[in-house]
Amino acid sequence: MNLKACRIAAIMLMAAGGVGSAWAATPVEETQALIARGDLDGALKRIDRFLAASPQDAEGRFTRALILVRQNKNADAIKAFSELTHDYPQLPEPYNNLAVLHAQAGDYEKARDALEAALATNPSYATAHENLGDIYAALAGAAYNRALTLDKNNPTTRYKLSLISQISSEASTGRAVAAAANPASAAGPASAPTASPAATAAPSPSAFAALDAWALAWSNRDVDTYLASYAPDFQPDGGLTLDEWQTQRRSRIGKARTISVHIVNPHVQSVDAQHVRVSFTQDYRSDTISDKVSKTIDLREIGGAWKINRESIR
Amino acid sequence: MEDQPGINPLNRDPWRRLDFAHHSRRLFRSILSIFLLIGAECAAARAEPTAHPEVQLQAAVVAMEAGDYGGATRKLEEVLRREPNYRLAQLLYGQTLALRSGAHIGSPLTDDQDPRLRELLDEYHARTDETHAQPEPGLLPDGLIKLADEVRHAVIVDLAKTRLYVVENGKSGPRVVRSYYAAIARNGFGKQSAGDLRTPVGVYHITGWTPGAALPPLYGAGAFPVNYPNSWDRSLGKSGYGIWLHGVPANTYVRPPRSSEGCVTMANEDLLALQSLLSGGSTPVILADKIDWQPAAKLAAEREALTRDIENWRRRWSRRDTDAYLGFYASDFKTDDGMGKSAFAESMRRVNAGKKRVKIKLAELSLFAYPGEHGLVVAQFVQNYRSDNFTSSSRKDQYWRQQANGDWKIVREENR
Repeated sequence: MNLKACRIAAIMLMAAGGVGSAWAATPVEETQALIARGDLDGALKRIDRFLAASPQDAEGRFTRALILVRQNKNADAIKAFSELTHDYPQLPEPYNNLAVLHAQAGDYEKARDALEAALATNPSYATAHENLGDIYAALAGAAYNRALTLDKNNPTTRYKLSLISQISSEASTGRAVAAAANPASAAGPASAPTASPAATAAPSPSAFAALDAWALAWSNRDVDTYLASYAPDFQPDGGLTLDEWQTQRRSRIGKARTISVHIVNPHVQSVDAQHVRVSFTQDYRSDTISDKVSKTIDLREIGGAWKINRESIR
Repeated sequence: MEDQPGINPLNRDPWRRLDFAHHSRRLFRSILSIFLLIGAECAAARAEPTAHPEVQLQAAVVAMEAGDYGGATRKLEEVLRREPNYRLAQLLYGQTLALRSGAHIGSPLTDDQDPRLRELLDEYHARTDETHAQPEPGLLPDGLIKLADEVRHAVIVDLAKTRLYVVENGKSGPRVVRSYYAAIARNGFGKQSAGDLRTPVGVYHITGWTPGAALPPLYGAGAFPVNYPNSWDRSLGKSGYGIWLHGVPANTYVRPPRSSEGCVTMANEDLLALQSLLSGGSTPVILADKIDWQPAAKLAAEREALTRDIENWRRRWSRRDTDAYLGFYASDFKTDDGMGKSAFAESMRRVNAGKKRVKIKLAELSLFAYPGEHGLVVAQFVQNYRSDNFTSSSRKDQYWRQQANGDWKIVREENR
């Protein structure tokens, strides 16, 4: 399974006064600054002082719950986020974080329910969507295991989901969302480059030529050339290591007597100078199977050659 | 889909592989008829608030077909809360979730060489294929030519379609009241000999009930043994024993369509639901290679011809009209202990000559077209025999074969 790097979306909190309003150091901001410095005890004291005066403040309670997470007091944090979902059912963030904690405890059903609740209140909530995708994948994996009565000791991947660290304002549609690496997270960047939808540049002929060579090698059952089309750090889907995946590809391509792969209607998108994304319809035929799928392949330039970085069916 | 690079291929066109897309209307009709069957049962029993797991599964498949994966997920969760070991439901559940996840996971369906997966797909097809659809209401298996009033229920298994039907013989005539998935032997059906891993084809009856507690875990909730090999099987030299209708071990909801060593297996819940309907020694169990579903009226011609022949056979015997009586026996007739027609005729002449009077009464006549045979019918009845010096009452299985000229003749009989 695809172990995602921890995505932490720090959502810029827009002041209620609207565009251009000055930032004042609110108690919550002071607390967040303490958290960023790693002073969790100090942060907890600061927010508790604030909550003593404003016990129902959603943002304050949310921040307090986050401190509990950092302190590994997950049961307390679950309780705090649950209470927030109860008192402020319109806010998606507490549901999301509740889901993250349930997932950490391996309770994917509860995580799923919480995320679906988050999406019910805010259907365009990207982090919840992404987290939910992972939860579905986890539940699917477990169901597949039970369907095929696989070894229960088979280690299932623990999904690391994105915790939301701030509540956005409710009137949030169309607001800029800035993703910032969180200093407390040492998990590293996301595993795949994300195409910026705005950055559609001129199609890259050399990248497409590389993809053509890939399809040709596959069609010729030339496994070495085919495998050489992939970047050395290519991450196969399906929880396989690169070695296992290569072995599987060798065996499967070797088994077919004839293969033909056609790239139909390709759409090339430049992500940046080193990254290109190609979406196309893959028309695959072998002596046993014919199939058409919509595929997206990310290519990365490595030492002057375009290599496949990521491959997925949409 | 063996050659997609490690990505869930079902993402794109999931139902093509599982053949969901083709026959939704027919499927819907079949689901509807299951609903009707089970609905009728529920209304009668007023005890079962939730639908049968199979009905719930079918509803999920319909939702998947319509692209309503959210609805399918919820329906499958209902099934799985009740039957967590329903492996096919787990597979479909995994599939809907994998689809909703957006390709974050590899599907086992990528490996269509995996025998465990093949079994589940076989079960899926056994449950949903168009050719396996439920019979229209009002139709009856053509093998049920006549059910005696005393026979309250009959079990008939369509071995090719791995489906077991219960026919209730009510006041308004027989009708199908239950339909269950039922798995058979690894090598299919048409058992000839011990160890051939096939389920027999023939007309049998339940001989008893053994609760699961008295059996190894393999048998699940319990077992109804049947009387294989019957006299017809023995006359053909068929061997083997221990053919039962039984449950499944606790770690699974059902077994794959072809999985046993010869027995018919069912979900434990379904087996237990039969317990109140079946009775040892009398409930017929027809293991059929195939079932033709016919309107009840269509079976009338055969029923009348055979009922008349059997009545005439009884009358000739009662009158000690031995030549006419022997005329009902085919030239290739054999008794259960291997006596041929001429030896049998000689013995009957001797016996009848020694009687001053003979009185035969028949009761509880049932007629079953014998599955896997052409023009063979087994008549089952209670025969009360009374003569001046001998009285007996026995259950008789009498096999009638239609001759080239259309007449029916007795080819074998057994008192049991």
